[in-house]
Amino acid sequence: MKLPSTVGGWLKIILPWALFAFLLLLPAAHPSDNAIRLLFITAVWTTTSLGWNLLGGMAGQVSFGFAVFFGLGAYTTALLMHAGHSPYFGFVGGAAIAMLASFLIGLPTFRLRGPYFVIATIGVTEAVRVIMNNIDITGGASGYRIIEDKPFNALEHYYTAIVAVALAVAISTIIANSKFGLALRAIKQDDVAAADLGVNPYTSKLWVHAIAAGLTGLAGGIYARRAAFFYPGDVFAFQTGISILLMPVIGGIGTVWGPVLGGVVFGVVEEQISVNFPNLHLMIYGSLLIVIILLEPDGLLGLLQLLVRQFRGKREDPGSPDADQVLWGRGRTQER
Amino acid sequence: MEALDYLDLLIKALLLAGVYAAMAVGMTVVYGVMKIVNLAHAGFLMLGAYFALEMFQRFHIDPILGAVLALPAFFLFGMLVHWVLVRWLPKSETPTLASLLLMFGFWLVLQNAAYLIWGNEDQSILTPMTLSSVQIGQLSIAKIKLVVFAAAVGCMIVLQIVFHRSWFGRSMRALIQNPYAAKIVGVDDQRTARLTFGLGTAFAGFAGALLGMLYSFSPDFGRPFLLRSFVIIVLGGLESVSGVALGAVVLAILETFSTAIPLPVYWHGWNYYYLPPSYQQVVPFALLVVVLVIMPKGLAGLFNRKWKAA
Repeated sequence: MKLPSTVGGWLKIILPWALFAFLLLLPAAHPSDNAIRLLFITAVWTTTSLGWNLLGGMAGQVSFGFAVFFGLGAYTTALLMHAGHSPYFGFVGGAAIAMLASFLIGLPTFRLRGPYFVIATIGVTEAVRVIMNNIDITGGASGYRIIEDKPFNALEHYYTAIVAVALAVAISTIIANSKFGLALRAIKQDDVAAADLGVNPYTSKLWVHAIAAGLTGLAGGIYARRAAFFYPGDVFAFQTGISILLMPVIGGIGTVWGPVLGGVVFGVVEEQISVNFPNLHLMIYGSLLIVIILLEPDGLLGLLQLLVRQFRGKREDPGSPDADQVLWGRGRTQER
Repeated sequence: MEALDYLDLLIKALLLAGVYAAMAVGMTVVYGVMKIVNLAHAGFLMLGAYFALEMFQRFHIDPILGAVLALPAFFLFGMLVHWVLVRWLPKSETPTLASLLLMFGFWLVLQNAAYLIWGNEDQSILTPMTLSSVQIGQLSIAKIKLVVFAAAVGCMIVLQIVFHRSWFGRSMRALIQNPYAAKIVGVDDQRTARLTFGLGTAFAGFAGALLGMLYSFSPDFGRPFLLRSFVIIVLGGLESVSGVALGAVVLAILETFSTAIPLPVYWHGWNYYYLPPSYQQVVPFALLVVVLVIMPKGLAGLFNRKWKAA
């Protein structure tokens, strides 16, 4: 591994570890219960955000259906715990079931070019929620309750969520720097050209979809264990899928830290706005989405980078051709 | 079930198909010309229903007339939306991330603006026609369904004439077939795109007003119909207007009959079970998956392949 030569380069390596250490040591400072709860929920959301970004940001496949994986993770964890297994086994089981489900969605839809995958993800969310509302073993629409014969330990939940988000960051970083990540970026820009260069778009999309689903299922299980009660209209809701998609887009699509930033902003803002203005918060997100797409496709992270460059007085903007191309897609340059 | 009941269901399905076709056709033209999956379609459908409601409650305009009035109103609204938002999107031959997210963001704004204006309680448009029915022999058909069907089919016929007989219709078809060749022969693609988006929005508003007469609605009204529109245009092969009519009939028939036909299930011997009505909502999606796996080019693609092979 090549050592960085600039201060900024060192910071890029040190800061994530410092952040991780800070979050692990934070409970020693006895923060309020509410702060721990807020950090827990933010970590859960950020994990799903990083998961979505692997598929949507790196491979360029928009999915509105991540609520399915979140909900499957929640229900699988709950059912496994109900059967007497350890919750940690439940989390792994939830991730595995979510990955399995991702193949069921991806196998028929990734074969086709065009908008089929997006359309299918909206359909799957609707269908799965209707089915879960009518299944008896999970209590149908009235929801499912997890009963643990252990006292409630907020810190255990907190640490699980922090480890999950660290895992998500690690996986994202590894993929972003690997040949697989390069293949995904190639697919995002032009899957025909990628196929010419020896990348199989079909299997690459399937695998990244599975990894993303696994992370989301894991987050769903962790969420469910703490929430202890959930129902299909909550974990399988279309709104859940929307939230998972909004975070990376707000933060900065296709990067590792953009989705983290988006998740943190989302977690905090959601806490404040959705309580006071239950109907207004989605309108704000909708407007934000429009503004980001039209004006700053790199999201908040892109905006930050722009500010840093202005601050340093560098006028020319090297930009990130990658993110631009991802969002704007392939131009109409080729004959149909 | 008696044969008469099946006939009754078939008539209901065909009447429903008329509205479904009007609902999906706007999405098809927008996809065909601009290659945008218009997720805001759901928002336009919902606004159409509220448009008819407001016209009815404030100005006592008959909802059918209200639906017709929605056509020019939503046409202008659609052109405005195109001018403000959509035209900044880059041209592409496949739907881009940016176009999906932009239209989705606009849908969120429309939906939540409606929550702010009208609240989240269910609304319905009740006219003297709503509860009356026509007797033909032993069959009784709700009057409102007949009227809605007639309006939808009438509009589809007008659209078909515009599509085949006007310069604008020819430009649209040219852009759907080959955007480069169309531009070479002098089709103004920006102007046609703007008019097409207006047309798509007009049909969404119109169909939304018609659907509002058949069902009760809330600001989240459009979502299930968005999925149905998708299924219909995928069945129709994404870009073909006549395919839409076919797709609408197939979806309406399958949805209507899904709970009426007993399904054979092997469980300790053969038994016949009816699909529980609560699962009816899954039918469009199940159909979507089947279509994607078996005939990704839609029903029209299947026929074309047969014809080419012959």
